[in-house]
Amino acid sequence: MDSRRTPAYVPIDIDRRCALAAEKLDLLILKTLALQTEHGYGVGQRIEQMSRGVFKVTLGSLYPALQRLEKDGLIDAEWRTSDNNRRARYYRITAAGRKRLAEEQKDWERVSAAVTRILKAT
Amino acid sequence: MTLFRWWNELRHARRLDRLSREELAHHVELAVAEKIGAGVPEAEARRQVRLELGSPESAREMLSDARAGARLDALARDLVYAWRTLRQRPAFFAACVATIALGVGASTALFAVVDAVVLRPLPLPDPATLARVYDTNPAAGVMRSGVASGNVADWRRRARAFSGLAGHYTMGRTLTLGTDSEVVLTAQVTEDFFRVLGVPALVGHTFTPEETAGGLFNNAAAPVGADPVMVIGHALWQRRFGGDPGVVGRTVTLERRPFRIVGVMPAHFAMPEPGVQVYLPWGFTGNEPRDQHYLHAVARLAPGVSLAQAQDDLLGIANALAGEHPATNAGWSVVLTPLRDDMVGDAGRTLVVLLGAVTLLLLVACANVALLSLARGLEREQEALVRLALGATRTRLVRQFLMESLVVCGVGGALGIVVAVAGVALFARSDAGLPRLHEVAVDLRTLAFAGAAVAVATLVSGLPVAWRRANGEPAAGLTGTPGRVAVGGNRLSLRDGLVIAEVAMAIALVAGASLLLRSYRRLQAVDPGFDAAGVLVAPIFLDMESYGRGRSRTYYAQLVERLEALPGVASAGGATALPASPVGPDFERPVWPDGAPEGERARWRAWVRVITPRYFETLGMRIVDGRAFDGRDGPDAARTVILSRGLARALWPDGHAVGRRLTVDYSTVGTYPYDVVGVVDDVRFGGPRRAPRLEIYMPHAQKPYLVMNMAVRAKGDPRHLAPAVRAVLRELDPAMPPHGLHALSDLLGATYARDRQAVRVLSTFAVAAALLALLGIHGILTHRVRERTREIGIRMAVGADRSRVLAWIGSYALRLVLWGVGAGLLLSAAAARLVSGLLFDMGVLDAAPLIATLGLALLGLVVALHPAWRATRVDAAEVLRAG
Repeated sequence: MDSRRTPAYVPIDIDRRCALAAEKLDLLILKTLALQTEHGYGVGQRIEQMSRGVFKVTLGSLYPALQRLEKDGLIDAEWRTSDNNRRARYYRITAAGRKRLAEEQKDWERVSAAVTRILKAT
Repeated sequence: MTLFRWWNELRHARRLDRLSREELAHHVELAVAEKIGAGVPEAEARRQVRLELGSPESAREMLSDARAGARLDALARDLVYAWRTLRQRPAFFAACVATIALGVGASTALFAVVDAVVLRPLPLPDPATLARVYDTNPAAGVMRSGVASGNVADWRRRARAFSGLAGHYTMGRTLTLGTDSEVVLTAQVTEDFFRVLGVPALVGHTFTPEETAGGLFNNAAAPVGADPVMVIGHALWQRRFGGDPGVVGRTVTLERRPFRIVGVMPAHFAMPEPGVQVYLPWGFTGNEPRDQHYLHAVARLAPGVSLAQAQDDLLGIANALAGEHPATNAGWSVVLTPLRDDMVGDAGRTLVVLLGAVTLLLLVACANVALLSLARGLEREQEALVRLALGATRTRLVRQFLMESLVVCGVGGALGIVVAVAGVALFARSDAGLPRLHEVAVDLRTLAFAGAAVAVATLVSGLPVAWRRANGEPAAGLTGTPGRVAVGGNRLSLRDGLVIAEVAMAIALVAGASLLLRSYRRLQAVDPGFDAAGVLVAPIFLDMESYGRGRSRTYYAQLVERLEALPGVASAGGATALPASPVGPDFERPVWPDGAPEGERARWRAWVRVITPRYFETLGMRIVDGRAFDGRDGPDAARTVILSRGLARALWPDGHAVGRRLTVDYSTVGTYPYDVVGVVDDVRFGGPRRAPRLEIYMPHAQKPYLVMNMAVRAKGDPRHLAPAVRAVLRELDPAMPPHGLHALSDLLGATYARDRQAVRVLSTFAVAAALLALLGIHGILTHRVRERTREIGIRMAVGADRSRVLAWIGSYALRLVLWGVGAGLLLSAAAARLVSGLLFDMGVLDAAPLIATLGLALLGLVVALHPAWRATRVDAAEVLRAG
């Protein structure tokens, strides 16, 4: 199945107020990792910060999403020692991930612009 | 997916699970630490994190690494669920399990037999390089005969294509331990016999060249020599010596002479034929005869030599020998057969037919289970539809329903193995006329086959149901009430297809079985040329020590006298070899009429029988010309013979044999003239399947043989005479134990035992398949009627009469049966081709299969009566009230 055309439904919402964003969690994770290599907690934190608190990523949505992206080869991961001297798993975006991010981002911009236009129509 | 893979995945998943647990804990710790840093007390921080992020446990469960283990859980859950569902319907469950047990059991038992007889290599090292050697003389009409010892000696010396070529000869001899005597089957073998076969002794050793030199081969008599030795078989060792390893070196008495035991063979060693319990050595003196073809030879090809090359090598030697010894060897050649083919013979043909039949039976059984499951009520359909509506995937539903058939077939298969063990025991004990039956056992290979049969049964019986259930339309199913008016088209449904397939396969089986049965009846109806009913047979092996030099004459004369004096005995007589009886000297010699030119003399070969005077009378053989032997044919009278009708016609085509003279070439013993005093009707010596042989009979008084098969004609059941006959034998010579007493009719029956067994097995399969098919027809009609109860009721309420309902059921049943017959006839044509090789004296175009097909079709319509009757009993008012 071509998961690019029919993005898998993420069953757990990252914020109950915005179901749309849940479907786009993969995109947000890719974007976060495109900026910086992070461990799971860091990814969650960044999404929360960048959305200015609108999105709070739960464990139940974040880790399955990370696992799925890793399986698809869009990100990879390795165990490293973190700043506080504990073992943590760090995720990094791959070339395929960057390509996918660019495509999805373009799609999203087009769709959201269209939706916005419709909603603002008078 | 295999359990093994599940297990591996499970182990891998455990490791990944541990890692993700660590990762999630790390995440939580960081979040808690941040909150504590912002001044929240630790307990409160943990509570908030849990609220905001959700529980790490449930997050972990969503990871697919953890799910591999869960898949195993789901499997177990499905199994338990299936088991529980089936347990709620014990009658249905039992019916399915019994049907599968029958199918799997029958096919597994038959596979065990096929495996042992045909598929498995012989239990000897490197069996593919073993071959049997036969003499052949196509010009004289001898396609395959035993080998001559003189030639065997030359082959052993000259052939290059073999790493060994051993000779052997089997016969019964009397073994005495203390005061206890018994007749055992012995094989006299060349020194290298065991080495050629590649089997060493279990205890002690096999023969050394020195020991063999002491054991000369002196025709049918026991080996002579200074220090006679023997090797014994495993069964005799266990039975008479309690498996004592100290048996080596002990001396036992064989044919009244002492033999020293030098070795014991292992249990699986069943060469040259099963039942041989004593091996005696055989050496060559250098002047063995070249024209007595009653020995056997087994050869091991040298490394890298093909059978064809070996055949060429032997042919060259045979040609050279024919040049060197034209008197004995002209026209004689050699033929090599792989040992396995020689032992298995054409048994494979019978077994292929039976294996085909049992496959059909298994499929019919599976179809029946599928039908039962399909028809098992609409409530399961509702269940499936509800689950679909609630979001269960179709794959999951298919898996669930397949799980049910796995449980049914698993339990049925386990029971089937029990059935197979019983069937194999029955088959091995029965006189099936098959080689290697002693090797048949339910072993790992058989169990693997049973497993495969269960897998096939699961799929065949489960997939139709699973497919149908999983393809239901949730909306349609949920809005309708159960028992709603069915929309019945004329299209054949899946269920109809299953019934039709069942009927077709049953018809093929019944048609095949009827052909075989008819062929068997013809076989039984063949006139063997003698009357086996009422005759008891006792083979007697006198020994050279006590009965040589003509002393057997007195013994047999006395024996006949005493047997005939017994109450209930009509007459008694003996022959060196009896028709249908497997033991005794049985050989052929060249015969020519007086005045035949030199070149014509080798033209006819006759099988020589030495008989006592009232032998023909005892066996009920018909004298067609001249007389039987009597007191006139004494030791000192002119030599007389009686010819079989076929031989008389061959030698004197003008039809007047009595009063003429002929010559028998008695090889080493000499060439003698004989007066023909009678002609007796041909007998089918090898049973009804074999053509009569050319036979020549000689009076025992003139040619006193040691080995005779005594026949006693009883006035009643011959088996009742056995104790009295045994008493007479013991009385006459206490050291000659009576053994091998049989009713001649049993021996005759044994010559076509394989036909009988094939008929029995195939008929059983056919009857079982027919019953299942009839059950299938009955079941589907009953279910159709139940499905349409409402429709029938409404129709009757608006004025349809019973005949309309009957017509509907009748045409439905007829349609099923006709389709079944059509497909069945096609399948039968294929089956007939398979069966045709087993038929005796008849083609496959016979009335029997058609009658059988018609009969089954009629029965199919008869079983439709019951559901039809039920349909007419539908109460319109009640149906309407039920809404």
